[in-house]
Amino acid sequence: MKANWRLLDTGSLPAAHNMALDRVVLNARNSELIPNTLRYLQFSPQCVLIGYHQAVELEVEEEYCRKHGIEINRRITGGGNLYWDEGQLGWEIFALKNTPGIPRRLEDMYRLMCESVVNGLDKLGVKARFRPANDIEVQGRKISGTGGTEWGDAFLYQGTLLTDFDVDTMIKSLKLPLKKLEDKQVESFKERVVSLKEVLGYLPPLPEIKAALAQGIAEVLGVTLQPGDLTPAEKSDLERQLPLFQSDDWIRGLRVLPQENDLGVAEYKTRGGLIRASLRLDPNRQHIKSAFITGDFFAYPERSIMDMEAMLKNSSSRPEDVGRNIREFFADNQIHIPNVGAEDIIQVLCLAIAEAGERSAVS
Amino acid sequence: MAVKEYLIPENLYYDQNDFWIKIEANSVLIGITEEGQKNTGDILYLELAPAGTVVRRGEKIGSIESGKWVGNLTAPLSGAVAESNPAVTRNPRLVNRDAYGEGWMVRLIMDNPDELGLLMGAREYEAWLDEQLKSEEGIG
Repeated sequence: MKANWRLLDTGSLPAAHNMALDRVVLNARNSELIPNTLRYLQFSPQCVLIGYHQAVELEVEEEYCRKHGIEINRRITGGGNLYWDEGQLGWEIFALKNTPGIPRRLEDMYRLMCESVVNGLDKLGVKARFRPANDIEVQGRKISGTGGTEWGDAFLYQGTLLTDFDVDTMIKSLKLPLKKLEDKQVESFKERVVSLKEVLGYLPPLPEIKAALAQGIAEVLGVTLQPGDLTPAEKSDLERQLPLFQSDDWIRGLRVLPQENDLGVAEYKTRGGLIRASLRLDPNRQHIKSAFITGDFFAYPERSIMDMEAMLKNSSSRPEDVGRNIREFFADNQIHIPNVGAEDIIQVLCLAIAEAGERSAVS
Repeated sequence: MAVKEYLIPENLYYDQNDFWIKIEANSVLIGITEEGQKNTGDILYLELAPAGTVVRRGEKIGSIESGKWVGNLTAPLSGAVAESNPAVTRNPRLVNRDAYGEGWMVRLIMDNPDELGLLMGAREYEAWLDEQLKSEEGIG
């Protein structure tokens, strides 16, 4: 017999309410006050969210957000900065870690959760797939980014679903690996993400999208979803938690760990064309936060550069690790870039890392 | 002793959150196991309770982030934090590189040595890990 999970649709809420609810529902699941739950997440007004350990000043274009009424908040989950407009739909799974069939290994769990959403997208006619570590993509372009956290015996795994997405506002509201917002770069950056509307040529009504996702998730997880509401205990915990999530203490993170956000940019001329690498780096932590690789070379398949950027995200910036990762990536994937080899990519990445290092030494 | 490719030293205690606990003269040293760091992935952020923090077994002593996952570190024993390792908060990848050595996290003065009886030895931890990995069938 299939287990009953709750299907919770809390509608559009301000950022602080949604972030507080993440903690409230996770706590309630850990205390076994509620069943495993699928929640839909929507925001109004639009907002920017940073990851649990991130610093607002390093991730958000605060002045732009202030001018345009974009709220800023911090997630309880990990990962990077995100822009959410009112058209986007989030999905969240709250479950006990020992739920039969939920893998203990995180990478297996990420795959299972993402494949359940991939199954939901398939119901809408979208051929998506899981891209390790934790993205869902359509022909190499990201349609859903995911992340999670745990508390006690329960976990929360959540993701975005780009329905009809305002990429221009995203680029302006977040600190991204774009040195100057040159048109060509912006266009190339836009190719990294794709919305449901762009894939299908139209935007299905939201209830239809929600129903498809619920069906897809329930099939893969082998559960029955029963629509439900927040319990009185959850509502009262929300009232209790909300002031914290509305406070600067939470958003600005008075105890945020020391970190940096350097931009390293380099160009390298090869026989196959110019390669340009733009990296967001945390030099002390030896960490590539995000990567953006463009140029006038041709890569086959086209998606391979986007896959490479996904692999580099959150990887080590130590030159020996960059070299190993890129060589492994070329060996494991059937990539063909005429007259450009793994060593050329390593070279431009190491130049970008060195450029950031030199600039931070000068300043 | 090893479960698959992971090292489980004999001279340590373990808990179900993949912590190892090493008894020293007047304190215990705590870190995460090879299996724990491997499962977590490349560690990007590590936050540890500062010296002087008093915790009970099961209470939060820090947080750890890899990629997009934030894990909570919960105390395997009750006591007072005597020292947290500044090297791993500055460079969390040390935990990935040397989980049982330079990657140690916290030194704790135990409140209640009887709690050691709640922990596992190397063989018990290995058997527990095997059981966890085998139980990943059928969802409900």
